[in-house]
Amino acid sequence: MLHSPVERVAEATPHAIAKRFRGLSDRSLAWLFVAPSIVLLLAVNIFPLIWTIRLSFTNFRVNRPNAEVEFVGLKNYISILSDKDIWLTMQATAHFLIWTLVLQVLIGFSLAYLINKKFRGNDLWTTIIVLPMMLSPAVVGNFWTFLYQPQIGLFNYAVGFLTGADPSSFSMIGDVSLAPWAIVIVDTWMWTPFVMLICLAGLRSIPDSIYEAAECDRASKWRQFWTITIPLVLPFLMLAVLFRGIENFKMFDLVVQLTGGGPGSITELTSINLKREAFEKWRTGYASAYAVILFVTVFGLASIYVKALNKVKQR
Amino acid sequence: MTSFFDGLLHFRRGAWEMLASVLIAAGVFMLMQPFALVLYSWSFLVTLLGTVMFIIVSHFPE
Amino acid sequence: MSYSVTEPSRRQKWFAGVLVVLYALITILPLVWIIATSFKTPSDAIAYPPKTFFTPTVEGYVNVFTTRTRLTEEQLQAVGEPQTWYDRLVRKDGLVISGPSRFAERFTNSVIIGFGSTILCIVLGTAAAYAFSRFKVPLKDDLMFFILSTRMMPPIAVAIPIFLMFRSLGLSDTHAGMILLYTAVNLSLSVWLLKGFIDEIPIEYEEAALIDGYTRFQAFYKVVLPQAATGIASTAIFCLIFAWNEYAFAVLLTSGNAQTAPPFIPTIIGVSGQDWPAVAAGATLFLVPVMVFTILLRKHLLRGITFGAVRK
Repeated sequence: MLHSPVERVAEATPHAIAKRFRGLSDRSLAWLFVAPSIVLLLAVNIFPLIWTIRLSFTNFRVNRPNAEVEFVGLKNYISILSDKDIWLTMQATAHFLIWTLVLQVLIGFSLAYLINKKFRGNDLWTTIIVLPMMLSPAVVGNFWTFLYQPQIGLFNYAVGFLTGADPSSFSMIGDVSLAPWAIVIVDTWMWTPFVMLICLAGLRSIPDSIYEAAECDRASKWRQFWTITIPLVLPFLMLAVLFRGIENFKMFDLVVQLTGGGPGSITELTSINLKREAFEKWRTGYASAYAVILFVTVFGLASIYVKALNKVKQR
Repeated sequence: MTSFFDGLLHFRRGAWEMLASVLIAAGVFMLMQPFALVLYSWSFLVTLLGTVMFIIVSHFPE
Repeated sequence: MSYSVTEPSRRQKWFAGVLVVLYALITILPLVWIIATSFKTPSDAIAYPPKTFFTPTVEGYVNVFTTRTRLTEEQLQAVGEPQTWYDRLVRKDGLVISGPSRFAERFTNSVIIGFGSTILCIVLGTAAAYAFSRFKVPLKDDLMFFILSTRMMPPIAVAIPIFLMFRSLGLSDTHAGMILLYTAVNLSLSVWLLKGFIDEIPIEYEEAALIDGYTRFQAFYKVVLPQAATGIASTAIFCLIFAWNEYAFAVLLTSGNAQTAPPFIPTIIGVSGQDWPAVAAGATLFLVPVMVFTILLRKHLLRGITFGAVRK
């Protein structure tokens, strides 16, 4: 890794001159600056993490503080990893994950591609499109239950208006077959702009000269799209997909407000399931093992994400 | 492909990181696939292995 | 204008523009609907077909800030004529205002916790980002990854030990606890973003200052900070928005005293069932500031959502 210029200057500075800079040395100043953040993160993240790992080997329950805490070894892990209901929860998460990613990538990329045509006023419209992304998922999710009401809901009305179906004949969050799509729709509405913004950055990073060269070679527009545009945007797209993937793997607020995991447990995503175990059934030890499994998965994905991040940064 | 194995043999970062990423991805797939319970049961170990490997190999030279 | 192969034709531009505007109008509709609903009467809000044109009323806003009770005719007579405009507004429906609701309190909590954590986050984040940007910190890459990974963790999983920890430290449901927690959650964003901004400040300014006899700390304070002001401001807004929107920790770790608005707004109910105009009014008051900030931030949005990696 390259040293930053100041480091090189500092190394090149003769000792006598360096001494003239009164006060703290760079080394102690660096520690002084970094330490508070690291200490806070250790206290609020790492210490609890270690605690969770320890609890995950016990049968501890918060609601029974006087019960004897037993060490149960890997029992929690084994029972979670052979539990069919949790497996189903994972599949519900997969359904949500895959469809939101597919839709967001398709719509997000198309929008970015269109915006990159630089029509007049594209900045204004981009800003409008981006708005849903920055809002509170819980508050917005809660309001979507209103839009999804049979009969009076705006969404049902619009669907009825467009397809001729009776707006009171279906309930997006009440029907077992529709609820998984209800959460996909809201998440796509909310997060498509995220993918769009990153794709737009990717598209804008492609220098015109590459297209000009391709034009000289008489490559068709279609060929240019597949051999220039797509490969050069791909690292950006990877970044967006990984980030949204991680976020939706741990999705909680939006879906809890929309469906609460229902009807039945058809939209009970992993985080909602975990919340039930930890804060409703109070099986703390068991939930800790569950949490560790999620931690490791997210941590693994995050390391791939950082790799993708550095790849984009080098551009 | 040969350069990939070459990289593994010489403890180059790129190739090993690729291998670890594939393991993590496989673990995540096993965790969420709807096909076989046994894959789900072993998913965590695969992800854990991939993640630990990633942490170690990210300190290999380029 | 010179001819360029990469410049889209006028027809292409027109076509792209129409599609994008169409998408924008559809995507903004739910937000417009929230604001519109907040000015409707409860019966207008649940009318079929959904009402586009209606007589606006501020009933929703009155309802979100107050609790009301239904009285019988005799009781109403005993209470006497309504005194203020908002009394008169609810009296139409045979109700009297019995007191303030919790909304103002929850909103204030959101403001206190949001700003408190943002300030802490910026102070800690600026210092750490400067050190990471300019000094040789041992294990720099690992520390940066560690900092980022703390943000990736699923909040529910983190909440289990935090819940236990806060309980034993007496921090559950306190402002201090929530400020500390949100600072930790947002710190990664603040460090990564600010490092990007500080990396962009030419090193020569500091070198000149150092040669002029400034100490390193003075150089940081008097040269780098003013240069990084825009970056710090936009980072602060990002931290504020994320703390403002946070739901999972808030719903699990707070119940009364320090509860913020996001877990509270969905629980707003009227005299008979969910009072949608009141919910919409609460949501509008809560969301509009964020919309304004988003518009102000639009140039830095991309950086914010990619932790400073993509700069356009």
